[in-house]
Amino acid sequence: MAKRKARPHNILITGATDGIGLVLAKAYASRGHHVLATGRRRLEGDEDFFGTRNIIYIQADQSQADHACNRIAHAMNKLGWEQLDLLILNAAAGWTGLPQDETSHSVSHQISVNFTAPILIAKTVAPMLFNAGGKLVLVGSTAVKKAQPAFATYAATKAGLDGFARSLHEEWKGRAQVQIVHPGPTRTAMHKKAGMKTGLFRLFFMSPRRAARGIQRAIRSGDKRRIITRGYGFGALFSRAREGEL
Amino acid sequence: MRALVTGASHGLGRALTRHLLKAGYEVVAVDRDTDALDDLVVESRGACIPRMADLASDNSLARLMERISDQTFDLVILNAGINATGKFEEIPIPAYERLIGVNLIAPLSMASSLVGREQIDQGGKIVFIASLSHAVGYPGASVYAATKDAIASYARSVRKPFRRQGVGVLTVFPGPIRTAHAKKHAPMGADEAKRMAPEVLADKILAAAKGRAKVLYPGFSAQMAQMFGRMAPGMATRMMRRVIFDKLEGPEY
Repeated sequence: MAKRKARPHNILITGATDGIGLVLAKAYASRGHHVLATGRRRLEGDEDFFGTRNIIYIQADQSQADHACNRIAHAMNKLGWEQLDLLILNAAAGWTGLPQDETSHSVSHQISVNFTAPILIAKTVAPMLFNAGGKLVLVGSTAVKKAQPAFATYAATKAGLDGFARSLHEEWKGRAQVQIVHPGPTRTAMHKKAGMKTGLFRLFFMSPRRAARGIQRAIRSGDKRRIITRGYGFGALFSRAREGEL
Repeated sequence: MRALVTGASHGLGRALTRHLLKAGYEVVAVDRDTDALDDLVVESRGACIPRMADLASDNSLARLMERISDQTFDLVILNAGINATGKFEEIPIPAYERLIGVNLIAPLSMASSLVGREQIDQGGKIVFIASLSHAVGYPGASVYAATKDAIASYARSVRKPFRRQGVGVLTVFPGPIRTAHAKKHAPMGADEAKRMAPEVLADKILAAAKGRAKVLYPGFSAQMAQMFGRMAPGMATRMMRRVIFDKLEGPEY
């Protein structure tokens, strides 16, 4: 078992009802950290859902960015958190199709969930991150690497986060760390929700567990920008997450 | 020939509108306050058609699109943009919401609906105005830089699907421009003479829009900055911090 810091960390993870966010929330909670998880859905009992007591779940729909922000601030206040050690902004929504067929509502919805909400949440909890000398981790996508005619708006929001991380990393030097991780295609519900047919390609996607492990390794490494993709070699069969602090 | 220019009342938008009018275009000129366009309307004998709209508001944007829904354009320049400078955490939330609305939501939804409703003629062009910050980062305006990076990514993604509908895409990455807006957000003691005049930039943009260029880094210094940013991205952003972020006074939005 890895050594653990004396104080359990306060960790906020958005988009934790599903996919990568859910795996991350459970992973950190299982190591004894306090996790505040957010999501769009209503959950019956946090404990039943996550199977552990140190996750608290709140509903915060990021399609209303400022509203989601208020709910998070309120929840942290109620928990009495004055420090935030790790903020993982993971929630995202997508839409697939030709850009000229996309409605204005779809454009503004994705921008709100993927771009505006993370920025407003980061701004709101910034003082608590500074108190702890914590880390802000933005979850991007490898979609930012090239032109994406089939999901232009989604790629744009993630490219925006990439640029945001670049400038904010420089601004926050000495106060809090800013990182961005870009996971490759992952076997989550996102593609289906976005109306994308992935077919057999899905077999080649990373599992959310693998993506979450990669993100945790990236967080430990402290690199300001990392791309997380699966390997297809022999080693990929046996690759396991390294246990470590945070 | 008809053109659509957003943010047409001041700065670069005004220079673009003026040049287009001179070249014989009818220009639908969109801005939040259109009073400043009165002289152009008179001068052009009505070829300049002001359309008042607040691009930060979804309703206002929808009304604008409705109002121009029966018009087609040869050239669309999505120029409107605002900034918010200072420490990231000191700028209030409503300022960020406005910034993202004007710089990102408006151009993306306008582009997709104009092309989707076939309001851009065959052989027409959409021009997106990103920023040189795409190459070098912009500590002190991290959300502004983020919106411009998103615009650059969107423009790159839509190039092919729009081309299939006969619409070209040009992305412009201008450095500092000599406008009232830029002056407001520049650090104290910045040399105004070094910034590009909006008239000069407007010329370069319109020339590039006629040709086949996909991207435009206008001017020698912008091209140098782009190269530097590509070769040493970390160093470029650190330098931007020293020359801008460290010298900024209070938040400005």
